[in-house]
Parts: sequence; C-alpha cells; structure tokens
Amino acid sequence: MIEQFIEGFGMAMRLDTMVMMSIGLFAGMLVGSLPGFTTLMAMAILLPISFFLDPLVGIPFLLGIYKGGIFGGSVPAILLSMPGTGAAVATSRDGYKLTQKGKSRKALDMALFSSVFGDTCSDIFTIMMIFPIAFLVMQFGPPELFAVLLMSLIIIAATSGANPLKSLIMMALGLWLSFIGTDPLGGSERFTFGLFELKSGIPLLPMLIGLFALPEVASVVIRNDGARKLSALVGERLKFAEFRRCFKTICRSTVIGTMVGIVPGLGQIVAAMMGYSAAKNASDHPETFGEGEIEGVAAAEAANNAVNGPTMVPLLTLGIPGDNVTAILLGAFVAQGLRPGPQLFEEQGATVFAILVAMVIANLLFLVIGYLSVPFFSKLVTVKTSILIPLVIMFAFAGTYVYRSDPVDLLMLVAFGIFGIIAKAGRFDVMPLVMGFILGPSMEYAFGQTMAMSGGNAMGFFVTERFGALGVLIAAPIIGFMLWRRLYGAARTI
Amino acid sequence: MISTMIKKTLAVLAVSGGAFAMSSAPVLAEYPEKPVTMVIPLGAGGSHDLNARIITSVIPQYLNQAMIVRLTPGAGGQKGTQEVARSPADGYTLLFSHNYMDMLQQYVDDLPYDPMADFIPIARINYAPASIVVRADSPYETFEDLVADARARPGELDLGHSGNWGAFFVPAAQIMRELDLNLNLIPYPGGGPAMQALLSGDSDFTMAFPSSLGELLKAGDVRILASASEERIFDDVPTLTELGIEGDIGYMHRFVLAPTGTPPEVVETLQAAFAELVVDETFIRLMGTLGESIDPMSGEEYQVLREQQSVTYKELVDALTTE
Repeated sequence: MIEQFIEGFGMAMRLDTMVMMSIGLFAGMLVGSLPGFTTLMAMAILLPISFFLDPLVGIPFLLGIYKGGIFGGSVPAILLSMPGTGAAVATSRDGYKLTQKGKSRKALDMALFSSVFGDTCSDIFTIMMIFPIAFLVMQFGPPELFAVLLMSLIIIAATSGANPLKSLIMMALGLWLSFIGTDPLGGSERFTFGLFELKSGIPLLPMLIGLFALPEVASVVIRNDGARKLSALVGERLKFAEFRRCFKTICRSTVIGTMVGIVPGLGQIVAAMMGYSAAKNASDHPETFGEGEIEGVAAAEAANNAVNGPTMVPLLTLGIPGDNVTAILLGAFVAQGLRPGPQLFEEQGATVFAILVAMVIANLLFLVIGYLSVPFFSKLVTVKTSILIPLVIMFAFAGTYVYRSDPVDLLMLVAFGIFGIIAKAGRFDVMPLVMGFILGPSMEYAFGQTMAMSGGNAMGFFVTERFGALGVLIAAPIIGFMLWRRLYGAARTI
Repeated sequence: MISTMIKKTLAVLAVSGGAFAMSSAPVLAEYPEKPVTMVIPLGAGGSHDLNARIITSVIPQYLNQAMIVRLTPGAGGQKGTQEVARSPADGYTLLFSHNYMDMLQQYVDDLPYDPMADFIPIARINYAPASIVVRADSPYETFEDLVADARARPGELDLGHSGNWGAFFVPAAQIMRELDLNLNLIPYPGGGPAMQALLSGDSDFTMAFPSSLGELLKAGDVRILASASEERIFDDVPTLTELGIEGDIGYMHRFVLAPTGTPPEVVETLQAAFAELVVDETFIRLMGTLGESIDPMSGEEYQVLREQQSVTYKELVDALTTE
C-alpha cells in the first residue's frame, strides 16, 4: 500500500499532467462562472477528448474542470447575487453583502482559500481512510437518507431567521413547488393543471436567478442612483489575520462537508447549508451572518468543497457512480482500461494513487490560478451601474435560456423574480424555500423507498430494524429547537 | 450573447474528438449541409450520453457533417422526445432513445405525441442485456432457488431496481408475470444506487448490465443467476431463454429515430452513415473500452421489434394496472 502510494506519487509528477490539469481548472472556472452552464455539461462534452489522452493526463483534466467549476459557480453568487447552482446559494448570502460593502475581492479570496483548504483536507482524508469510508457508505440506505434530509431541513428552518413560522411557511412552499410535475416514484402527474410545460417540474436555475438576482437588481433600480457604481471599490485582498480568524470555522466546515460527502445522496448543497448554520451557531455574533460576514463565505465554501473527496469513494472501491459527475468519471476510467471496483487497488493501485495525488495537486494549482484570476473577476462590479444592471439582466435571461433552451423558463424567471421582490418587501427569507425545493424530491424518493421496503409500515420498520435512522429522526426536532433558542431565544429577542 | 458564443465553441470542441480521425472530406452533397443535432431525452453522464459522445465523435467522417448532442431531460424523457416530434422532418434533428421510453411510456402516461406515428427508426446501435444478480453470500445458487423461495414467501423478496417503468423494472415485471411470482419491487434513483443497496443487504436481488458487473464479479462480491441475451454472456450463467422465459425480455435497445416524413433520400444518407459507423475501427475500439457492445440493426428490422413491443408492453401495463 505505502509502496503503491509512493510509486503513484511519482507517476503524478508529470509536466503534461500539470498543464492539462491547469487548462481544465481554468476552463472549468470560466464555464462555472457563466450562469446557465454547468460543469457537468462541460465535463460531458469534453469527455471524448480524455479518451485520446494518457490516463494520467485525461482524468486529471476532467477533475480539473470539475474543481474549477465549483469555484466558478461562487463568482457570480458573490458578485451579482446570482448563484448558478444550489451549492453556491449559501455563499451568495454573505458574499453579495460584502460586494455591496466594497469588499468583493476579500470575499472572492476567502471563497478561494476556504474552497482549496476544504477540498485538500477532504482529499487527503479520503486517501488515508478510503476503506473505512467505503464501509461507512454502505451503512446508509433510504431510511437513513430520509432521516438525515429531514434533519437538514429542520436545522435550516431553525437557523435561518428569528421567526420560525415564516421560515416554515417558506419551506413548506418550497416543498410544494417541488411536488409540481411528475411524481418521482409512481410517475403520476401532480399540480400540473394539465400543462405539459409543468410536467417535468419547475427547473432550479430560473428559480435561483429569479429569487436571488432579480430582487437585488430591482432594489438598485428603485434606489435610482444610476450614476453611482454598485460598488466603487473592489477593496483589499484578504489579510492573513482574517483567514486566521476564520480558521476554526473553515476546519469545522471541512469536517461537516466530509461527513456529508460520506452519506450517499446528500451532496454539496446540504454541506454548504450545514456548514453555514454551524458557523452561525458557534459564533459570538450570529447577528452579523447574512449581513456581510466573511466567516459565512468561508463556512459555506469550505463545506461544499469538502464533499468532493468522499464522493469518489463508492466509484473507486465498488465501481458504483453515486451521481452524474462520478458517472462521467467512470466513463473516463473505463475508457482508459481502468475498471473501478474492488480489485482496482490490487491491480492498478499505483495509478489510482497517482490520480488521487493529482486531485491534491489540482487544488494547489488552483490556488495559484484562482488567486491570479480574482482581480479580473472583481473588476466587474466597478462597472458603472447604468451599464452593469442591463448586463446583469442580460446574464439572468441568457443564462436561464441557455440552460435548456426552453422559453417557458423565462416566464418562470420573471415569476420568481416578482415573488422574490414581494418576499423581500415582506421580510420573508427565500432560503428555506429554495432548500425545501431542492431537498424535497430526494426526501420524497427516500420516503417512498422506505415505505416500499417496510411493506407499508414505516414506523414499525424504523423501530424494529433501523435504529440509526430512528435516532436521527428523534434527535432532529430537539436539535432544531435548541439551535433556534440559542440563536434567537429570549436573550436575543428582536 | 457571450454565452451563445461559448456554447458554439463548446459544440465545436464536442466534435473535435472526431476531427482527429477525420480524413479528407469529399464534396458536400445536398444533405447534410449543416450540423445534425441528436437529442438525448435523458440526463448528462448516463449510458445514453456516453454512447452518444462516441457516436458523434466518429460519425462526422461518414456523414460529412458534425453531429451535435443536445441533452433535453425532463418528464421521464417526454420533453426531448416531444422536441424532436415537433421538429421539421428534414433529418437535422434526430432522437437517441430506448425501447421503454419509446414504446412502453405511451401506456402509462398521456403523451403529447404518438411514438409509433410520429417517428421512424434510422438504426439500432446496440442493446444492453439485463442480468439477475445476487450477493455472493446469498442462499440462492441458481435462478430456480430464487423462484422457489419467491413462491414460498410471496411478496417478501426485495428486488431493487433502477426506477419505475425503467430498464430493470419492466423485465422484472415481465418475469413476474411469466412465472406468476409476487416480488416486492423497490425503486432506486438509478442502477448504481440499486447495486449499492444489494451489496449493503437492503435488497435480496437486483438487475444490472454487464458493463457495470465485470469488476464486482471478478472480486467475488456478486453472483449472476441469469442473463438476457441470445447467447451466454457468462459461460456458466444460463440465458433467460434457457430458463424458459422467451422473447424480447430484458433488452434495453439503444437506437436513433427521426421524425416521420423525413425524405427517403435523407433517411438513406443517415442509414448509410450509421452502417459505416458501426464497422469503423475507432468506434469499435472506443465502444469496447466503455464496455458497450455493438449490435447494429437496420431501421426496417428494428421497426418489426417496435411493433411487437407495442403489443407486449400494452398487455403488460394492462395486467399490472388492473391488479
């Protein structure tokens, strides 16, 4: 094992690997920063190129696109309050407030450093603990996934605002919106009112851009100081002291993200929200979260990147891809004659370690590439508002359209934009809505599976066979209540 | 604007893989005078996506035009299928589909198109045969053991599959009907999670395609009890036919459709290009590395299968929904 690791380490130290990985990182960052384009699309399109490359060049190239894309997604989230993916939603909350305060460069730097830190630590942890993680992954079935998702929703509702009723209303609305379309298990139509356009459900991207970006645009326009710039300054770069102040938060988020990554089916969105909630809870000044707290950016970004390491484990040890990104990587592995599975380490151990080492190197390379790119990105907000606002609107509509080339999505964008403006005026936080919408379908699917597994008696099934899931289900409301009381309870009445 | 430019650039990159192998192109004929779009009504990273990436990398040299993949997932494939059904029948918009979406869905849902009337097959590329899989420590040594236990304990054996009315659900339901069994069918969001559920002990057996079984089998983690195929894929594993389950059961066909009304000369050009594609060395090599087979069938031959499917699937759905 150690010998294989050392051999693999040597194999990864190749100039062409580094060059292609850097190209992948840069391309991924650009694609990820354009709303409407997903890293998944970029990876699928560029996959055949990797077939013609050496395994130790082609696979790191794809990994580079993936990693670059995740950071790219947080750029418009921070600068324009335009999260292109669910994973960047938590980042946009404090990131955009920092941009408004003229500290966009600091926010981007913090996003970069905490992303790289979270990712690197989780990768190293994964390399060392790959077999124990593989064992843990197998302990999670549909009942456990359902319990953990329910707990996530409760924690999000409890920590997102002083008025839990408002949060719960928004979350229920989000869950209801996720029911629209074809029922994921049975295949029957729900709340589509006979419209074919609603049959595939409400798409996420128009919802995200409509709810988060358009209300911000509206408030700038309503303030009507067009001559001014959205933010005159890009501010200073991140100081080491600031990074050190957030270091505890970054470490906490890294641990949370890694744990979330081990549970199959949770993913970056849950990790970012949990990391953010935990940081807010641990803080001495939780009221600053959501108002431009750089710790909030650090918490969300470290957590969502720390998911990446463990999600590779089922692919490498069992040959089972857990999501679409790992499915593409499986295609790349197989096309190179590397067949991921239980024997991969015995037969190709050195090559696998070389790829894992390449993942770590990709992070370090990205630190450099990202650090050099941040000044260019942050310049965007110094454009005059009268030019920037039309640009943002164009990006919002073009990004929405490009995603599926469906004109109906534009109507959805406008509808969610109007809803977002109203919600903002009524001081309703749209975050619980989005989280309910994103996590609803997975939770519903897991619930349906649990019902099928138990033959209809889910409660009895939890009590007699699934103690872990039962424990989480009982603990969830208690944890939720304690978090809420700590953050907003008697001492902090508003 | 910038976005569309990037999209175009990416589209060019998409075919650049094929461009490596492209030889000198002869003078353009009338069709195709612009790139052909192949719509996949499924998500990125699935087996249709990967197959299509290889097809579109190699076919430009025979079609003398680029072929671009467009993923249009949604509503269980209906979104993309509808898009092609409504496209002009000029051969520039094709559909890459599978038989359950193509011929079964019409009986479980109201479709905004008529699959039989609105589409004609161009070519079948290959099929994926489903195998019945148990864990290595399972008490079932043979398919007969499994059937005997399923009869002894009706409704108690858990079969994890990749989604309702999908590539494993349908053959399972067909086998249940053939043998008059009662199994507990549990859906998972895809074949990967279904396999994970088998390995972790959540389900008693599952189904899988050979491309995802090789390594688990070699490592001794799973045992295959039967597989759908004309000839044995695994030497010591009987085919479903040998076990008395005959017909088009357990095959997921991957094929290309065009809207009805496509001019005959365009159909001919396309069919000729696909006929050359399936014997191309690069294509064979790339499909081989992905673990996919190549089992070409002409459009006419496949139409016969489609007509049979439309009858058997109707019977199956009627039987399942009236129970």
